[in-house]
Amino acid sequence: MSMREWITHLIKLLFPPQVLLPDIVGIDIGLTVGAIAIMVYLTVRHRWGWLWREWLTTVDHKKIGIMYLIAALVMLFRGGVDALMIRTQLIGPRAHFMGAQQYDEVFTTHGTVMIFFMAMPMVFALFNAAVPLMIGARDVAFPRLNAISFWIFAFGAILLNISFSIGGSPSAGWMSYPPYSELAYNPGVGENYFLLSLQVAGIGTIATGINFLVTVLRMRAPGMSLSKMPIFAWSALITSSLVLFAFPPLTVALGLTMLDRLFGASFFTVAHQGMPMMYVNLFWIFGHPEVYILIMPAFGIFSEVVPVFSRKALFGYEAMVGSLLAISFLSYGVWVHHFFEMGAGPGVNVFFGLSTMLIAIPTGVKMFNWLFTMWGGRIRLTVPMLWQLAFIPTFVVGGATGVMLAAVPADYQYHNSYFMIAHFHNVIVGGTVFGVLSGMYYWWPKMFGWKLNQRQATWAFAFFVAGFWVTFMPQYFLGLEGMTRRMATYPAGLGWTSLNWWSTMGSYLMAVGFLIMVYNIIWSRLHPDWDTTGDPWDGRTLEWSLPSPAPEYNFARIPHVRSRDEWWAMKREGRTDDVKISADSVQPIHVPRNSAMPIMLAAAFFVGSIGMVFSWFWMAILGGLGVVAALAYGSFADYSELTIDAAHVLKTEAAMGRVDS
Amino acid sequence: MDGEEQIDTAPTGHGDEVEVGFLAPRIHAAPFPGMQITGYVLSMALTLAAFGLVAYHWLPLSSLVTVILVLAFIQAALQLGIFMHLREARGTAWHLPVLALALFVGLGIVGFSIWIMLFKSGVS
Repeated sequence: MSMREWITHLIKLLFPPQVLLPDIVGIDIGLTVGAIAIMVYLTVRHRWGWLWREWLTTVDHKKIGIMYLIAALVMLFRGGVDALMIRTQLIGPRAHFMGAQQYDEVFTTHGTVMIFFMAMPMVFALFNAAVPLMIGARDVAFPRLNAISFWIFAFGAILLNISFSIGGSPSAGWMSYPPYSELAYNPGVGENYFLLSLQVAGIGTIATGINFLVTVLRMRAPGMSLSKMPIFAWSALITSSLVLFAFPPLTVALGLTMLDRLFGASFFTVAHQGMPMMYVNLFWIFGHPEVYILIMPAFGIFSEVVPVFSRKALFGYEAMVGSLLAISFLSYGVWVHHFFEMGAGPGVNVFFGLSTMLIAIPTGVKMFNWLFTMWGGRIRLTVPMLWQLAFIPTFVVGGATGVMLAAVPADYQYHNSYFMIAHFHNVIVGGTVFGVLSGMYYWWPKMFGWKLNQRQATWAFAFFVAGFWVTFMPQYFLGLEGMTRRMATYPAGLGWTSLNWWSTMGSYLMAVGFLIMVYNIIWSRLHPDWDTTGDPWDGRTLEWSLPSPAPEYNFARIPHVRSRDEWWAMKREGRTDDVKISADSVQPIHVPRNSAMPIMLAAAFFVGSIGMVFSWFWMAILGGLGVVAALAYGSFADYSELTIDAAHVLKTEAAMGRVDS
Repeated sequence: MDGEEQIDTAPTGHGDEVEVGFLAPRIHAAPFPGMQITGYVLSMALTLAAFGLVAYHWLPLSSLVTVILVLAFIQAALQLGIFMHLREARGTAWHLPVLALALFVGLGIVGFSIWIMLFKSGVS
């Protein structure tokens, strides 16, 4: 028996056919026990007040960033377990770990969770953690709206995540195309969960977009003109504007589907002259800019990481900004490449095929700019830099296969095959996930005040990246061999067995990488390596001029920006004492007060959504009234700001050695 | 409402203020939100009119679409002008060029969608 057969055999022994994996009742019991355990712990340790004051009602962008990060990592786990279930099912021909229905539910949840509840919050975590600090602001433009965004996202995520144990999971894929997502073919509440959770989370996303758009445009420190702004702030600005343009079509598409399912309309049904393809059109008007919403922040992160760890200014700043703008503009004119096969005709298909290929040009510009930044630089192979180095070849392969997919006649072959699956995992994992992980390791000391152990993080990196290549390279060839996406099982003798086995092994390697990452975080928390300098990487931008973690008010004294990499310039010119305050010049600082309104508003949305999912309209109305009540309270409540008095600021800054004597 | 009042512009200090006539700062100040209330009533009326047209078949289909589009444009103008502070800015009115871009992208999406979905007429 070969090694490969032996491993397959072992997995089959461990998970006998047709047992629900994981057993839902077991999960339910586990969740209940876990929730009770957390509550008992909070009660015994008297931490409820702390939790409420410090986290649940906070409007501080730094804490909201940390909560986004935790949520994103939990969702990465959930989506990752789904991925492992998918890969285990496909380990060999005729493997029946799950039935077809459960398999459909698992891949639907995998896609939805990874895009909307892992990648998006991870991006917002880094926006919150870094953008206000690097532009010299004391908070985002609308701190309470920021908290509302987070809690609405969190309750939307909970809504999707409870679906499998309460009522049933959605099963129509993360795009939920009609007519299969319509009531006639998909009865039950699963699809309702999908529609409501994305609708609710989408409100939070749009609010975050508005927030960071205004923050970057209005809250910059004096002297920081747009052309002196760090590229990550540029990417936040452009991502936010993409969010504003892209999410309304999704809202419309989901809303109309909801009217179809709950109130008997027929916008997208087959019966009564509905137009199912109009949903597809609307979804991808959102969907294509969405993938740029995911990748732009990664571009921004790499544009920060590369100069710092090459000890060189970014090569071609203007070209970087220009290419970001070009990509964002072009991204609105490419969406038909997701459905060339609809048959809109050669004119339409050629137009959108060509516009898709055009995007490769500004992306290529960025690639070369990163390479030229590294060229001749003094490169330090830290963990953020390792993720960046892994990103470059990965994204080039992903981008090149994207151009292959944009060729219309060839796309009739590639469409919905594993070739396409491999392509978009190549760009989303190899681009976005590598990017946000690079950013997470880069800004971790600034967020938490302690560093992650580099050796462990390097092992996590090695397993994850190796696993990534082993998982997705075979899938290109599976696609060329004719394997289509979403197959619950496949027969032997098609030449797919060996490639699938390797792909599954790769996914296990990625899982090991993730486990090491979690171990790394826990170990580094228990053996903290405190960042006392505030500038562990010898950084270039303003966030590194602050202590780690930054005090509640961020800047005791708002800096006057003179050059592009201001902190670097201050260090070169010996102006680092500029960040210090003196006892006679210190001013009281106004910060926004904590508010319980955001979490209440989000809870009301949650109650209303549950009502809509199960068509309990009394409950939906109750939730709706709760939303109105929370908004009314929010409009009329007393929002006098909290004043941190000068003596307290002086004491805090003095404790960190930032007062001129 | 009660006359236009020039306020001191609050320079942001970022150095991206420009001197262009139609982007110059201007702001309305009124003690009573009369314009907002008028706008609210008008937008309700426009919404109800559009709903009534569809629900009670007051017009034949051919003219219905045109009338609803006209109502929608009036509605959008009302929202932008009254509630979205289209004509007001404390600093340079940067939102005007951005709004033009939004209009361009929005009309592009609608136009492209019509072009894309025309294939239905060839099929059915």
